[in-house]
Amino acid sequence: MFKAILKTQWKWTRLAVFLAVVVAFTMPLLSMNANALPESPRTLITNMQAWGAGYALLAAALGLLVAVLAWSSDHRGHHVYALALPVARWRYVLLRFGAGIVFLLPAIIALGISAEIATSTHPIPQGLHAYPLALTVRFAFAALVAFAVFFAISAASARAAGYILGAICVVLVAQFLTDAAGLNWQIVSHAVDILMGYPGILAVFSGRWTLIDV
Amino acid sequence: MTFAVETQQLRYQAGKNFALTDVNLRVPVGSIYGFLGPNGAGKTTTIRLLLGLLRAEGGTITVLGESMPAAYVTVLGRVGYVPDRPHVHPSLTVGESMELHAAFYMRWDARWAGELQRQFRLVDDRRVGSLSKGETGKLMMLLALAQQPELLVLDEPTDGLDPVVRRDVLEAVLGYVSDRQASVLISSHLVHELERICDWIGVMDRGDLMAELPMRDFKNGIKRLYVTGAPELVGETPFTILSRAPMNGSAEQWLVRGWEPEMRGHVESIGAVVTDVIDLDLEDGFVELLRSFRDKR
Repeated sequence: MFKAILKTQWKWTRLAVFLAVVVAFTMPLLSMNANALPESPRTLITNMQAWGAGYALLAAALGLLVAVLAWSSDHRGHHVYALALPVARWRYVLLRFGAGIVFLLPAIIALGISAEIATSTHPIPQGLHAYPLALTVRFAFAALVAFAVFFAISAASARAAGYILGAICVVLVAQFLTDAAGLNWQIVSHAVDILMGYPGILAVFSGRWTLIDV
Repeated sequence: MTFAVETQQLRYQAGKNFALTDVNLRVPVGSIYGFLGPNGAGKTTTIRLLLGLLRAEGGTITVLGESMPAAYVTVLGRVGYVPDRPHVHPSLTVGESMELHAAFYMRWDARWAGELQRQFRLVDDRRVGSLSKGETGKLMMLLALAQQPELLVLDEPTDGLDPVVRRDVLEAVLGYVSDRQASVLISSHLVHELERICDWIGVMDRGDLMAELPMRDFKNGIKRLYVTGAPELVGETPFTILSRAPMNGSAEQWLVRGWEPEMRGHVESIGAVVTDVIDLDLEDGFVELLRSFRDKR
């Protein structure tokens, strides 16, 4: 059963997975090549941190695409095919979820291999260290979190997705109104802190995403 | 009599304008049950409730002896379902669709699926999204049949198909039923199609199951009578008067159910005379039944 789900889901996801693998493999190599001759260790760290946002974005994009593509065909058929199958609904969701996780792996592995190659083939200034495994593990967690969040949203009804979008709009409108009223309320900033700060659901995306650090 | 499908007081509200009200549907085991009704009558909604795709607001549903939707995993493994709209993933090929389907059904018959594929001339590597309407209908029928169901639930399976494809599809269903003694619930608004294949009929309109009876009773029992001299109040009759329409003078046209020739005597006993009896075909019977039912509401 899982094999059949994996096979069909692969058909819908393979292009996104392929692109993610290419980008994930390229990024560490490019980041090291671009900083082959750094002016100072500090400059190197600053430059490598700038690349960090790219890893976080890639993890989020990978999670989003794999999650959305896992459900897109079911959505198109109004879930009639899935609902008519003789399998418990929670089990069907788990099968789709499991298949999605499998499709995160190629990009994670590509990033790990590339990070290892990049750091082992370029000289690293004294006092600094390479963290290919830590970066890969962080990327894997981030991709998993993004996938889980977007998978849950995609699996839900259009109404549920509308509620989430509505909640985001309410926060933005509230911020706009309080700004217009001259109140110094940092609503958006607080909302972002709650989500991105520890133990927020997206905390893995914040912090230092760097291949080279002290 | 045992029933493949049985509902009691089934209720469901869909929006403000449509509701199923106390539907008591009974599909005898081994029968081909035609579920007849105009578009929007509630046939698809009823079918979705039977299969646990929707949740009823009241009443009970029993399918193949199991309570629905509680036992949906077991029941769906024994039911072949062809929905009113294509539900197969359009990006998969015919072969991939069959492979995916086979993975979920314990009783999938790969050999027979292959035979049906050849019979329906479905090419393995054609994308489902690129199939014609007829080919998609055949594929859905293939998937439903090859899992060897005890109950086939077909929701407008031939709607929009050309006569040749329609015949192929119905022949496959009839062949299956005669081989395996399965039960079939087939919904349609194509009256003549059901007339050919069904042995039971249920008529639904605006969320109400108006009638449920053996096909022969439905076909033979509904007549149009031309009557003269009938009093305004007829009283108890051994047949059911569905409607009375005045004609010229004292002549009237009655639509009746359960008519037998020996009942002329009863009509004469109330001072009226039956001048003519017209047999209605299924379509006429259906239309008249629908009209009389709507007039009563």
